[in-house]
Amino acid sequence: MLTVRNLSKTYPNGTQALRGVSLDIPRGLFGLLGPNGAGKSTLMRTLATLQDADTGEAKLGGGGASGAGDLDVLRDRAAVRRTLGYLPQDFGVYPKVSALDMLDHFARLKGFSARAQRKEVVESLLRQVNLWEVRGKALGGFSGGMRQRFGIAQALLGQPRLIIVDEPTAGLDPEERVRFHNLLAEIGEQVVVILSTHIVQDVSELCNAMAIINRGEVLLHGVPSELLTRLAGKVWRKTVARGEVEAAKQEHAVLSTRLSGGQTVLHVYAAARPGDGFDAVEPALEDLYFAAIHGHLKMEAA
Amino acid sequence: MRTLLAIAGFELRARVRRLSTWVYFAVFFALAVLWTAAAGGAFANASVSYGSEKVWINAPMALMATVGVLAVMALPVISSMLGRAVQQDFEYRTESAFFSSPITKGQYLGGRLLAALASIVVVLASIALGVAFGVQMPFVQADRVGAVGLLPYLWPYLVIVLPNLLVLGAIFFSLGALTRRMLPVYITSAVLLVGYILGTSLAEDHETRTLASLLDPFGVTAVQHLTKYWPVAERNTRLVPLAGELLLNRALWTGLALLVLGLCYRRFTFTHAGGARAANAKDASTAPSAPAAASSDGRWKQAAEAGPRWLAALGALTWLQFRETVKNVYFGVIVLTGVLFVAATSFSLDDLYGTSTYPVTYKMLDLVGGQFGIFVLILITFYSGELVWRERDAHVDQLHDAMPVPTGLLFGSKLAALLLVPVVMQVVVMVTGMILQVLKGYTHVEPGLYLRHLFGIQLLHYWGLCALAFVVQVLVNHKYLGHFVMVLYFIAMTFAEALGFEHRLLHPFQAERVVYSDMNGYGHLLPKVRWLQLTWGAAALGLLTLARLFWQRGTVVGWRSRLVVARSRLTRPVLAAATLALLAGSASAAYVYYNTNVLNRYVPNHRQEDDRAAYEKAYRARLLALPLAKVTAVEVHVDLFPSTQRVHAKGTFTLTNKTAQPLSELWVNHADPELVPTSELALDRPAEVIVDDARFGLRGYRLQAPLAPGAQLRLAFDVTAQARGFRNGAPATEVVHNGSFINSAQLLPRFGYREELELVSDNARKEHGLPHKDRMRARTDPSGLARSYLSGDSDWITFEAVVSTEPDQLAIAPGYLQREWREGDRRYFHYKMDSPILNFYAFLSARYQVLRDRWNDVAIEIYYHPGHAYNLPRMIASTKDSLAYFTKAFGPYQHRQFRILEFPRYAQFAQSFPNTIPYSEAIGFLARVDDQDDQDLDYPYYVTSHELAHQWWAHQVIGANVQGATVLSETLSQYSALMVMKHKYGDAKMKRFLRYELDRYLLGRSREQKREVPLARVENQPYIHYAKGSLVMYALQDYLGEERVNAAIKAFRDQAAYQGPPYPTTLELVAQLRAAAPPELRPLVEDLFEQMVFYESRALSASARALPGGRYEVTLRVKAKKVRADELGAETEVALDDPIEIGVMGADGPLYLEKRRVPAGESEVKVEVHGRPVTAGIDPLNKLIDRTPGDNTIGVEL
Repeated sequence: MLTVRNLSKTYPNGTQALRGVSLDIPRGLFGLLGPNGAGKSTLMRTLATLQDADTGEAKLGGGGASGAGDLDVLRDRAAVRRTLGYLPQDFGVYPKVSALDMLDHFARLKGFSARAQRKEVVESLLRQVNLWEVRGKALGGFSGGMRQRFGIAQALLGQPRLIIVDEPTAGLDPEERVRFHNLLAEIGEQVVVILSTHIVQDVSELCNAMAIINRGEVLLHGVPSELLTRLAGKVWRKTVARGEVEAAKQEHAVLSTRLSGGQTVLHVYAAARPGDGFDAVEPALEDLYFAAIHGHLKMEAA
Repeated sequence: MRTLLAIAGFELRARVRRLSTWVYFAVFFALAVLWTAAAGGAFANASVSYGSEKVWINAPMALMATVGVLAVMALPVISSMLGRAVQQDFEYRTESAFFSSPITKGQYLGGRLLAALASIVVVLASIALGVAFGVQMPFVQADRVGAVGLLPYLWPYLVIVLPNLLVLGAIFFSLGALTRRMLPVYITSAVLLVGYILGTSLAEDHETRTLASLLDPFGVTAVQHLTKYWPVAERNTRLVPLAGELLLNRALWTGLALLVLGLCYRRFTFTHAGGARAANAKDASTAPSAPAAASSDGRWKQAAEAGPRWLAALGALTWLQFRETVKNVYFGVIVLTGVLFVAATSFSLDDLYGTSTYPVTYKMLDLVGGQFGIFVLILITFYSGELVWRERDAHVDQLHDAMPVPTGLLFGSKLAALLLVPVVMQVVVMVTGMILQVLKGYTHVEPGLYLRHLFGIQLLHYWGLCALAFVVQVLVNHKYLGHFVMVLYFIAMTFAEALGFEHRLLHPFQAERVVYSDMNGYGHLLPKVRWLQLTWGAAALGLLTLARLFWQRGTVVGWRSRLVVARSRLTRPVLAAATLALLAGSASAAYVYYNTNVLNRYVPNHRQEDDRAAYEKAYRARLLALPLAKVTAVEVHVDLFPSTQRVHAKGTFTLTNKTAQPLSELWVNHADPELVPTSELALDRPAEVIVDDARFGLRGYRLQAPLAPGAQLRLAFDVTAQARGFRNGAPATEVVHNGSFINSAQLLPRFGYREELELVSDNARKEHGLPHKDRMRARTDPSGLARSYLSGDSDWITFEAVVSTEPDQLAIAPGYLQREWREGDRRYFHYKMDSPILNFYAFLSARYQVLRDRWNDVAIEIYYHPGHAYNLPRMIASTKDSLAYFTKAFGPYQHRQFRILEFPRYAQFAQSFPNTIPYSEAIGFLARVDDQDDQDLDYPYYVTSHELAHQWWAHQVIGANVQGATVLSETLSQYSALMVMKHKYGDAKMKRFLRYELDRYLLGRSREQKREVPLARVENQPYIHYAKGSLVMYALQDYLGEERVNAAIKAFRDQAAYQGPPYPTTLELVAQLRAAAPPELRPLVEDLFEQMVFYESRALSASARALPGGRYEVTLRVKAKKVRADELGAETEVALDDPIEIGVMGADGPLYLEKRRVPAGESEVKVEVHGRPVTAGIDPLNKLIDRTPGDNTIGVEL
């Protein structure tokens, strides 16, 4: 269990990346949704001990009762790092080093000093992420999916209690994405996994808890199915010609537009049927996401 | 073209807006202003000049030097700006945007190159602007600035900077573009710098100067080569012509640049960085996913909780970082360059007269001690950046930083890897050095000395620099800026001393020069090295502790955040460590200061000047003309204590009133006050101390009863010199553990006003408000004739000394050994001289081996260091040949004994005392003369002969204290030695020797500080009395004949020996020579001695026609000209009326050699010879002084 309270961060250039973010993140996969520039990566880096917050706190529950064994993520960094797995949004590799050597190096950094033990761990992880066959290949020749899987392998080193993965599926082909999702799901059974993404589908397929943030603020926070009930009966669909889209946007609270067979399918937010040609639709996570970032849904008093 | 310009324009605008461009501009502007101001006398304690202080600070040559050298220093900026011109697209991943746009490769590359070159030109323009600005500064002395136009400011850019930029630009640009990395660019810049260094070291010998000029990619060596013989007048007015070696150099390197650019254009492809490669790797993900191994295995947890062994991890991480650093082709290139550098320089190992020396270990170590160090510094600078930035450059920093590794471990492993880089270099150097020694057939390899020097001394210095570079990289937190900060540091350290920052404590992390001598090992020199190393070591630890606080972990942005992080890391142990380091460093620095400033007198250069000016102002008027009693007898007892570096001397001077009037005052100077702080003096009669000036070590007595003419008085003295701790400047090397050599002027009191202390430099005199002073008096000045140039307080004396030393050493003083005995644990030697000598003598002591021989009734003894016996037979032979020649030609040898004594290489000379010649370990003893090689000159033979000749020329005839005095000692000794050499080795060898002398003379006059004068009026200028002296005397004996010249010199000796006062001058010598010359050659004698005359002889063409009977008719076209130079070297043509030699050479020597009248200008000569002619020319053996001696002969066309 990870508890975040009132986290704020302003960069030297004046950008307010986080404004009083508070979250309760249970064990399992937690989806952090938000558009580009919402502050997701700042939050992730802060939780990954790579950056300071100006104010606020974050505690990683030790599982004990009454907070015993809790770790202060912002201060007790060394301890957090021992129990942390982090896959940053944009990471590189030494292009000429093999996957095996690189992971072995990371294992050493994680504190596996004994060679035999390290070998065992590295082998098991490379098998787990399905890179064992290519362990001797230089990382420079890896495809995007292989590279992401290597990233998750290093994040899994040392059996972390907190795993942070930042935009892991961006740029992966569908098959790779599915494989990656399976990996995450498997991991998420035991520990806290925070998955930041701007792809709604990632969250809907994987997460049992989620939050939506924009401009540094948490807009929504909870269990996806429960959050979706708040939209029940409020999402409407209409198919219009492309020329009519602008007019519709003026008139209605349009959540999303999607092209379909040359025409445009609108999703509109409204408490009641907004007009002719609108059909009620079962709200999807995507509708929730747009409703939230367009300001139609406010957090209930926490 | 328009697209190209658009690309260039965009890039240029971006660069002009970048702060770094203007930082570079400001830095080079400031350096140029500072340099110019310092050269212009703006700072009292700075000593900057362009060879001669008569050269204006904005003279064309000065501008060439300033712009040229500062542009070499801009190398890091040039490499960074040009290397990144294309490489930046790969670093910022913007290449795809450019490569996918509809531009051609040529437009892209051309635009980028153009923009980079233009911006660097903008940056470097700051140098000329800086000089122009510096010249205007009010604190610059007006007479140091000349009236020059705009062209001299532009010229260095046209011939040096722009071609350099093209050359360097092409190379750096192409490397950056093709490898898409910066490291190769930097490595190449280091390699190019080695070319430059190699160039400068090769340029020291005139025979390799052309090669050196071509090797140096910066063209600086070529400019120096082209202008080396320019006297002051030409330096102030002439532009360096784009001709000769400079033109060749520029053409060669520009050609190379174009070639490289062409290659770059061909090889460069518009492809994405990793694009091609990604396809190769087989994606294993298509294989069915194996069931994941259970990762919730308890063992991992155990591992993490048991506490990993971080120390082992440090070792492993260091190894990893180190491997990453060295396991690539670039490091290989570096190592190879190092090996080549050592090998190349070892072939001209300390050559003297083109003759090599034995490659003893310390000589090999000298090679890597000096300029090679620059190379290592560059490596340290580059690799500190690479190591600190490796993770961030590879974008794995976030992965790394989130790992549970202590920050100290990351920091420590990188630092340790950096420390290993110089270790590798030292190992390479050591192995290379030892292999080279063996290859040169020298087997006395000393691995222990290598280890001690390379690892025990030098490596520690490099480690300090590693720490500094590392700290700079961490604190600056910007790789390229970090490099630049290090470059600034190196520049600052290079010029610190010239700008007046002389104290060693102001030179952080700089190496202390330490001289190893075979005789004395490291002797007493190590404590200073160690204490400074301790000081900088502690400072390094303190800085590292600080840097550790600022180590970038995670994505911390901005100084404020970094400070917050640093504060949070500032724990009590860290604070304690920093404090401890600070305390240790301060304590050690305090101890250094105690040594340099308390135990010893710290006298910076400008204070020394102040003292000398003050001395002149206080005492000149009162003492200069004061009549003095002169020393007529010396009895001295000297105790040398080599192991404690102490010397104690007591004895008595007998002074005689040789004037016609009673003398009531006596003025005594202490010896060198730094060496001998106090003397106890006791007069044998009542006297009152009227002055006791501690600042100048001067004491004045007024005798109660004046000393009557002819009467004598005795002064007893008791002096002790004890080396205490270490000094800031050059260490005292007089009394050392093995090889002590101290002379009377350093140890014993002297009498009267010491005119030699007066400031000489015109600039310095002006700064101190002193009137203009001629360097020496005219030859008719009575006050000059009244004393010898060596001593004002004595003429000829009787001498007797007892010298004692430690029991395993021999102690020597001039005179004959009367008795040797032991008393307690001391060994005593009693020496007594039986003929009058000058009041100048020396005491030596060392563990000597002695070689004895005889020539007639003269005992020959060589006292040498065991193992240095290589050249003793040459010295003995020279002694015998010289004694035979000199006694026959000039008159008898006044002693019954001749002794040579080796002393450590702290000084590199041999010096002649009566029957006693201290002779440095560095010259002659280690010469490796190959008699089979007609290139080699037997200089041990020559030096021995020269010093022996001084027994006549100095110890029998000593010149008056007027112009030309050193002709009577040095020039005549040179001549004497030349004649002995000529008889032994023949004319061909002499031509080689004289070619070196010509080089020395022409170089010397180009660096003249005041004015050049004719030989007969030489003002103690070595390039005149040795080098020009050799040329003049050799030409003289060639024209007049050796017998005639010798007879004249003998006649002069007969009239001048032991004469004085009035002492002899060159007027008498030249009169004898003139009288000996046939009337038609008298103008030549006049020209040689009383004028500065140069000949411009040139062979234009030569052809031959075969005649019957193996005879040939040779037709030679020649050009001849004679000029007279003034004191600054401005030339005017004069009538050519001297016979000049015309020669035709065959394969085995001259076929025709005859002096003929040749008209000025072009003319044709026909001669008939027997035998096949090969070359022909005018003055083919370079007997006359010619600034371009190489063009006197030309091949004969048949």
